[in-house]
Order: sequence, then structure tokens, then C-alpha cells
Amino acid sequence: MTLNLCVLTPNRIVWDSEVKEIILSTNSGQIRILPNHVPAAIAIDIGILRIRLNGQWLRMALMGGFARIGNNKIIILVNDAEKSSDIDPQEAQKMLELAEANVRKVEGKRQTIEANLALRQARTRIEASNAIS
Amino acid sequence: MKRQRRRSGPMLTVAPAKELRSNTASITYRFSSKPPLLIPPSFSSPSPRAPFPASAIRCGLRDLRERIESVKSTQKITEAMKLVAAARVRRAQEAVISGRPFAETLAEVLCDINDQLRSEDVDIPLMNVRPVKRVGLIVITSDRGLCGGFNNSIIKKAEFRMSQLEKLGIYCKVISIGKKGNAYFRRRPSVCADMFMEGVSFPTAKEAQVIADHVFSLFVTEEVDKVELVYTKFVSLVRSDPVIHTLLPISSKGEVLDANGNSVDADGDEFFRLTTKEGKLSLKREKIMRKKDYGLPQPLWQFEQDPAQILDAMMPLYLNSQILRALQESVASELASRMNAMSNATDNAVDLQKNLSTVYNRERQAKITGEILEIVAGAEALMDF
Repeated sequence: MTLNLCVLTPNRIVWDSEVKEIILSTNSGQIRILPNHVPAAIAIDIGILRIRLNGQWLRMALMGGFARIGNNKIIILVNDAEKSSDIDPQEAQKMLELAEANVRKVEGKRQTIEANLALRQARTRIEASNAIS
Repeated sequence: MKRQRRRSGPMLTVAPAKELRSNTASITYRFSSKPPLLIPPSFSSPSPRAPFPASAIRCGLRDLRERIESVKSTQKITEAMKLVAAARVRRAQEAVISGRPFAETLAEVLCDINDQLRSEDVDIPLMNVRPVKRVGLIVITSDRGLCGGFNNSIIKKAEFRMSQLEKLGIYCKVISIGKKGNAYFRRRPSVCADMFMEGVSFPTAKEAQVIADHVFSLFVTEEVDKVELVYTKFVSLVRSDPVIHTLLPISSKGEVLDANGNSVDADGDEFFRLTTKEGKLSLKREKIMRKKDYGLPQPLWQFEQDPAQILDAMMPLYLNSQILRALQESVASELASRMNAMSNATDNAVDLQKNLSTVYNRERQAKITGEILEIVAGAEALMDF
């Protein structure tokens, strides 16, 4: 039994194939989805999506969104998604440093929220790119 | 012999041959009576097909030559621009198409969840229908010019909408995207406008995010009660229409009323479109999205989190995707209009060049003829002695 996973972003379809199981990070913690899951609707936070495929775990950085689980069919709609293989570690590191510096110097409520968001995104990308080690 | 300075006399026209013969006769007459002077003849509209500017005075071969050169180089530029636009319009169309699975799925899911949550008491800020006193208009224009009537038509539509709303006594706030729109609204201080500049050619989710956040905060803080998108919808390569699309609140048609209970929707407003037709470009539908094995009634969704939280997560996605789609369609229409405008410009340049060359040749020939006649006349005069 396999799950049919689709990861969609506004720009393109990031992933569309069969997988064995996935692990999502949501607001309320991490959830593991196995085949024959009950239909559910889940809000996803900025975090890592782990996909198990042929005994291998693949990681993807997701920037928040929504997941819907149907009859062994998972549709994940996110603002942005990047496969760990597509992330350049140095670039991700640089972005992380930029984001950290930004958070320290920014002011105003809205900017603070945005800066924090950017920081979390940068951290997630680093985490995803460090996965294969 | 009376010298008649016939300014309007000899017309060096690009005209039927009969006329020309009479012209040469009169030229001969003139040149024998006084030293050859290239009286600049004024050209009236010769051929019915390509009317020449009547006031243009050709002052000599050199100017004509320079003019022909400049037209040639302009033509090269316009042709290059047309090719570039044609190449990019294809990419833009593809971008629109590839963004569709997301938008469609999102719309479906929202509908499903809405149905389910109707019974429950969930407060969704973005579906909050309030009496409308202020409207936010997002107007999408282009950054660069030379795109024909594109910016004009979108701004006209926006102005029309604003006057409509003003008649109903509703205050309008304009959020302008694109340099051309910004420049326009800057010149109109009576209109309150926020400016956004788009520097990129292809809109990505990040830019859409910025705009979506801004709009979201405006709506939620009740600074505006309704948000509408004014953008150009890409119908086909030769046609694009400016349309108005209500972004917020998310409701069905006719529900959004102003203080007096009148519906403030624009004619032809598109709500929550689930349609996916696109101009002439018909690509194969993405097969995955068409595998509808939900023949059975939808099972009840189990919400992992609070439904309100889930909807909270979906609203930004929805806003994002709508704005992104509007941006992409605008870009595609801008490119299509630029392509058409540059194509017309190239054709005009070719015509102009042809006309100018003809005129240049005639002048050149007239000059040569004049010189020959001069020489002959001089020789004749000498012979008499």
C-alpha cells in the first residue's frame, strides 16, 4: 500500500509520486502518516517534510501551508517548498546569518514578526540541506 | 517670362506616371529660366495607401538619407523587442498554467471545508462580510512602456470603478503595482494610493506574499471593507481584457453590501473562480489533478487542529494564489500587447522607409536631371556665340 503524494506550490508542482509514508511538522507537533489514514485536514507549519521512499528518507523544507489526506492520497499545499537536494548549503548558511542579523536590528511589530518568520525559514532550509549526512 | 514661384506647383509626388511627365515639363521650364534652385516642394498626400504628413518638407538629400538611416535602426529595435516579447509570452503562459493545480485544489478544499464548517460556529476573519464604507483597489500595471494600450486600458477601468464607487459614497484606496500605475497615481494627489514597485519580470510567490500580507492587514484592521483586484486578463495573444475580481471578503455574489444595502459588486466581477479556461493556448490538463476517484460523498474530515487554525493556515494560501495568478496574467497580457505594438511599429517603419526611399530617389533623379539640363543649356548658350 502506498500513498500518492502531491506537493503543490503556487508556482509549480514540486512532488507528485507514490511514497510509503511521510512525516509532517504541524503546529501541534510532528505527525506521521501511513497508508489508509483517516481523511483529515491538517495545517502545516514552517518545517521539514520527511518522505520515505524505497527505504530511503528524503527531506523537503516546507514554508507553511495545508495538507489534505484522502483515500491514500495526500495533497500538500504550501507557499514554498524546496527539496534538500536543491538547497545549496553555503547559500542557506548565508541566508541564515542575514536573517539572524535582521532579527536583531529590526523594530516595529510587523517587521519583527516578518523577521522572525524569515529566520525560521532560513533555519528550516539549513536543516533540510544538512539531512543527507 | 514671368517667373512664377509656384510653391505648390511641381509636386514631386509618388503618384501615377501621367502626372510625373507634366511635372518634369514644368521643371524643365523653370530650370531654364533661372539657376537651378532646389525649391523644396511640399509633398501632399500621394498614394491613398500610406498618407504622408503633408507638412513635411524635405530639405535635401542629406536629411533624407539620415532620416532613412534612423528609421532603419528604429525598425531593428522594434523588431528585436517584438521577438523578445513573443518568446517571453510563452513562458508567461506556462507560468500561469503551472500555477493552476495549486489554485484549483485550494479552491476545492476551501469549498469542502466551508461546507463542513457551516454548521459549526467558526469565525473566519477573511469571510467577514461587513457593510462596505471603504474599498481597496489593487491596480496592476506594467513597469515598462512600449506596450500599446495596455496600461491605458487598465487605468481607465480603475478610474471607472473609482467613479462608480464614489457615486455610491464609498471611499476608495488604491494600491498600485507597477511603475506606470505608480506614476499615474502620483500625479493624482486626490487619490489616496499605496505604491508598490515590481522590479521583476516574472512574478513569484514571494512578491505575491508581500502584497497579500499588506492587503490582509488592511482588511483585518478594518481599514478597508472590501478588496478588489483590477488586472488584465489574458484572453488570447491578440486580446486581453481588464477585469475586476473581488479578493476579500470571500463570499458569494451579491452578498457584499454597502451601508445602504446596495450591492457594490462591479459588473462582470468574478468570484472565487474555479474555472480554468485559457485563451487559445490549450495545454493538456495535468493528469494527476484529473484523477478524480472521489466518486463517493466526501468523508468527514478529521481536523488535526482547531478548524479555525486550519482555516487560518489556508487563507494566506488563498490570497497568495489569487494575487499571484492576477500578476501572472497581467504579465502575460503586457507581453502580448507589447508584441503586437512592436509588430505594428515594425510594419509602419517598413512602410515609412519605403516612402522615404522613393522620395529620396526622386529627389536625387531630379537633381541629376537639373544638372544635366544646366550643362546642356550652358553648352547651347555658348554655341550661339
